[in-house]
Amino acid sequence: MLKRLILILGAEALLLLALAAIPMSVNNSFLLGLLTLLTIYAILLIGLDITVGYLGQVNLAQAAFLGLGAYTAALAVTRFGCSMPTALIAATAVGCLFGGALSFPALRLEGPQFALSTLSFMALTTTVLNEWESLTGGAQGLQVPRPPLFGAMLGPKGFYWLCLALLVFVWIAMRNLLSSQWGRAFEALRDSPIATDAMGIGTLRNKAAAFTLGSGLGGLAGGLYAFNFQYLQPQVFVYDLMVILLLGVVLGGRKSLWGAFVGAAIVVLLPNLLSNRLLFQIFSGVGFLLALTAGVRGLSRKTTRPFHTRLQSKDLSSPSASIGDPALKPGFPITPSGMTNNLLIANWFQAVAPVVAMGMLVAGGIFTTNTEDWRKAIFALMLFAVMVGLPEGLMGFASGFLTRLFHIPPPELPEAVPLDSVLAKKETTGRPLLELVDLKQYFGGVKAVDGVTLTVRSGSIHGLIGPNGSGKSTLVNVISGLYTPTSGEIMLNGKPLPKGSLFKVAVRGVSRTFQNLQLFSELSALDNVMVAMKGIYRSTLPLVLLGLTRGNERRAGGDSLALLEMVGLKDECRTPAKDLPYGAQRFLEIARALARRPDLLILDEPAAGLAQPDVNRLLEIIRQVHNRGITIILIEHHMDVVSELCDRVTVLDYGKIIAEGKPDEVKRHPRVIEAYLGGANADS
Amino acid sequence: MLTVDNLYAGYGASEVLLGVSLKVKQGDVVALIGPNGAGKSTTMRAISGLIKPTGGEITLDGRAVQGMDASQIAMLGLSHSPEGRKVFGPLSVEDNLLLGAYSRLPKFFGFRRESAEDLERIFDLFPRLKERRLQSSGTLSGGEQQMLAIGRALMANPKVMLLDEPSMGLAPVIVEEVFATIRRLKGDGITLLLVEQMARRALEVADYGYVMERGKIVVEGNPAELQKDERVLAAYLGDVAA
Amino acid sequence: MHESVVAQMVVSGALMGLVYALIAYGFQLTYSTSKSINFGQGELVMVSAFICLSILNFGIPYWLMVPLGLLCGSLLGLFVERAGVRLALEQKSEGWILLTIIIGLLFFSASENIWGRDDRPFPTPISSEAIQLFGISVTPVEISIAAGVFLIMGMIELFKRKTLLGKAFEAVSADRDAAELMGISATRTVMLSYSLSGMVAALAGILVAPITTVGPTMASALVLKAFSVAVVAGLDSGFGVVLIGLFLGALESLTSYYVGSGWREAPGLILLILALAVRPTGVFGKAQIRKV
Repeated sequence: MLKRLILILGAEALLLLALAAIPMSVNNSFLLGLLTLLTIYAILLIGLDITVGYLGQVNLAQAAFLGLGAYTAALAVTRFGCSMPTALIAATAVGCLFGGALSFPALRLEGPQFALSTLSFMALTTTVLNEWESLTGGAQGLQVPRPPLFGAMLGPKGFYWLCLALLVFVWIAMRNLLSSQWGRAFEALRDSPIATDAMGIGTLRNKAAAFTLGSGLGGLAGGLYAFNFQYLQPQVFVYDLMVILLLGVVLGGRKSLWGAFVGAAIVVLLPNLLSNRLLFQIFSGVGFLLALTAGVRGLSRKTTRPFHTRLQSKDLSSPSASIGDPALKPGFPITPSGMTNNLLIANWFQAVAPVVAMGMLVAGGIFTTNTEDWRKAIFALMLFAVMVGLPEGLMGFASGFLTRLFHIPPPELPEAVPLDSVLAKKETTGRPLLELVDLKQYFGGVKAVDGVTLTVRSGSIHGLIGPNGSGKSTLVNVISGLYTPTSGEIMLNGKPLPKGSLFKVAVRGVSRTFQNLQLFSELSALDNVMVAMKGIYRSTLPLVLLGLTRGNERRAGGDSLALLEMVGLKDECRTPAKDLPYGAQRFLEIARALARRPDLLILDEPAAGLAQPDVNRLLEIIRQVHNRGITIILIEHHMDVVSELCDRVTVLDYGKIIAEGKPDEVKRHPRVIEAYLGGANADS
Repeated sequence: MLTVDNLYAGYGASEVLLGVSLKVKQGDVVALIGPNGAGKSTTMRAISGLIKPTGGEITLDGRAVQGMDASQIAMLGLSHSPEGRKVFGPLSVEDNLLLGAYSRLPKFFGFRRESAEDLERIFDLFPRLKERRLQSSGTLSGGEQQMLAIGRALMANPKVMLLDEPSMGLAPVIVEEVFATIRRLKGDGITLLLVEQMARRALEVADYGYVMERGKIVVEGNPAELQKDERVLAAYLGDVAA
Repeated sequence: MHESVVAQMVVSGALMGLVYALIAYGFQLTYSTSKSINFGQGELVMVSAFICLSILNFGIPYWLMVPLGLLCGSLLGLFVERAGVRLALEQKSEGWILLTIIIGLLFFSASENIWGRDDRPFPTPISSEAIQLFGISVTPVEISIAAGVFLIMGMIELFKRKTLLGKAFEAVSADRDAAELMGISATRTVMLSYSLSGMVAALAGILVAPITTVGPTMASALVLKAFSVAVVAGLDSGFGVVLIGLFLGALESLTSYYVGSGWREAPGLILLILALAVRPTGVFGKAQIRKV
């Protein structure tokens, strides 16, 4: 543990030392200028990484926030005579304000629509900055005098210290934030927005928070930018700049402070690299060789590397992209026209394309007269090679490499807490906990749920069965808030349950698992459960930024570990969810659903696809949950599971209840048998 | 005509099929029944190529097809009417049927002429579809869509047809009609693999039956015997004390 | 007098809006088959226009240049699909957003260096002399824009409805898996959609170049507005894009006149943000049910 701390903090301290020492030892104003710009861009990219790395979205507006922050700071000084701290705070605030405002329209969006929304904002900002001449000076530009800092005028060195200090502050604050429940929540949002809501973490508010933070940092960087160059022009803050920023984040490595720093370094140094022809040729040559080795290795080992900006481990209709060596599966003949064909096609492109791209760079370095003119193409080719061939970026690759090299141990685990303190036994009264009154869910003409009246008693395990298409999953989706019912009432403990909102229902004490797994695939098993603890161990944002919430973190971790132990996953707590075996993934969903200490737990086909030993494990787990007084609704097709566990069973067919009672009664009910096996032939 | 040997397949980390073997002889109607979640539809999708198997062999008319793309397998004479019917909603009934024969029709012009005879044959079988031939298929009732899906699969003049859960979501009266159609097709000599949750109906039309549970075939045999077999009921509803 | 100026603005603007609609139509083609669009479409338009300019400079007559230009457009579209989209689609990720942006950047840089950074005039045999039509003066060039847009959209719609290949296209858009079961290769259909989209973009460039000149500004100016039209109308709205395009074009024109020419972009951008916020599926689009 100590070793890890020393190595990581030590590396950061070294970096800081180097950054601080260089200007003191070397008297080169050009170098100083570069370093200043480096710190500014590092802050900017750390902000961008929040949306691109953690939320996993393509954010095309960060350059706009840079511009807005810059002009705000400039105007604060020229119009209002503010001092440096005030101007910078104003710049940050404006960034947050616009980020927050933009996040509202952008909140519900994913993928391309989100990208388009941010792109629009970018273009709009450019237009406004250009046209509002009375405010911004328009295309003519705006002179920006550098204001005093606490009375003292800052020369180039002084200004650099300021930027460096701010970078350190941002670095520490962001490290605290992103390794806390907030960072986990952002990542959870990326992996499964539905599950995030269902675990009682508001997707909308967390997305807004992430976006606002990122844009606030953009604003801060903008303020520093203005005071650095002391002259602003709107045509700087355009789409082209944005693409370069994205290059920095992707190339440096997403989801990593070091990655943002390395990316900033590349962005700042790139123009200089390009103007020196020899340097460029060396650089592109090295890159080409790296791509070639990686490509050859990739082809020979037939590995595909996942490429995802968003991961979906739940997709059921296509072959999985990350298949290991097919030859190792039982009895599989590798025919020339067989399965490996498709994999290989995706494969060779991934291996070859970066080589081609880097090759073009090398050729360009040799044949073109002026590499500066081809700047954009060079960025494009580099970014392409990285996105296809090295999606985790330089730091992503390096950190794995360095961890192995120095045998850096993983972070220490919190202490597991006895299960009783996590899931204290509840009193079960036998009174009605959940009541459904004439619930209907129609999808257009389809009557998925057609007048269901049902009571689930506190402390019971209530089974819900029925043939395919009978409405079981729809019913449970309505209860948990995924759909808003067409009509009918839902009461929890005698009070109406909010309808149509996974988040609100979760907050009221109803938790669920999903038929098609909705795990946070990139997060570890422990993190998956810890995400759900966010609502229990609330920490306010300022405290988190200052790193004062370690206590809460430890407690959340201890609780989560106890839950993992209950489902038998304690030893795999560090494994990413997507790498767990299927049975373990199912159990993990249950552990995660218990984090909020629900009154009612809904299990949607928990035994689906489980082998017999895992089914036995599942029975034990469900019994344990039951013993703690948690009421359970269980949808299942495995009749033995239903018979073993359920106190009461409701049978649905065509959206209506056709039988209800003890498992044995229901199994012999003629209408139930008919529903499952089909009626006798009408002719006979 | 169609042989499946020790088939393994699944979705992502989950292995659903754990060594399924079955045979469909030419001219036979074979029923594959079992409770929900057993893997029946997964078996169909692995055969037709919508998912790629991770192990085992599938042979169509003597040719190994495991691992091929679905469009390639369709071109080789396998027709699959999928679970949920999946008709092309915005397209008309007639267009859906024409597309069923896509593999053998000219792609730009002349396809109407070439397909006229086949279309008439299908309309003969399903007069209601003829009435609605220009109607957009998304507006058809569930039963009509099922007829359309079957007709579409037949247009390919397939060597083997896969029919996946035709009764799902349909009212009992309509289910009657569907099975009447299947009986008529059987009379015409079709080679059909039928997946059904409604065990009794499926066994009534079948020449041979397989019962699946949790990714494996647990019972197989003569449909009449299967109808009386206790194990079939147990597969659906667990062990039932007599 | 004032009214006729306004009417004039509306009509000219609306005609330009048809070009946005055309590019938006191209977006619909790729979106319907693959749920993806080329974020670098603007650069594709620009490069096609430049290539056409070079073809003309070689002495090839205008009427021959057009089909050649369209062919180039479709080849560029195929390139975008192969290099930027297919890998991401296979892995079910949205990496195509960044990748198509990158390819666009590459196109931009290449054209900067091959053809220079200035806007160049685009010669056309169609006269630019205004004629009077119902009291509004329009130039034959503007009329040719309308003709070109409707002609190609009409042809592609005919293709989709009357040929079996076109029906297969629609089938893949409706249900990819079911289409594969018919023997239709979804991958080839996506390729077709991108090549059609590229062709359509090339035509947009050819039609509008005489008015806007060919250059770096052409790319960015057109594509964001095409995005607006596509999103506001709905990415599956068919001819809705024409109506929205006309509307947006007219709105831009009026904004330029009343507020200032630098602000002409603003209404489209604001509309886009609002549309995404309020109704992401578009005015004419269809809503989706969530499945878990």
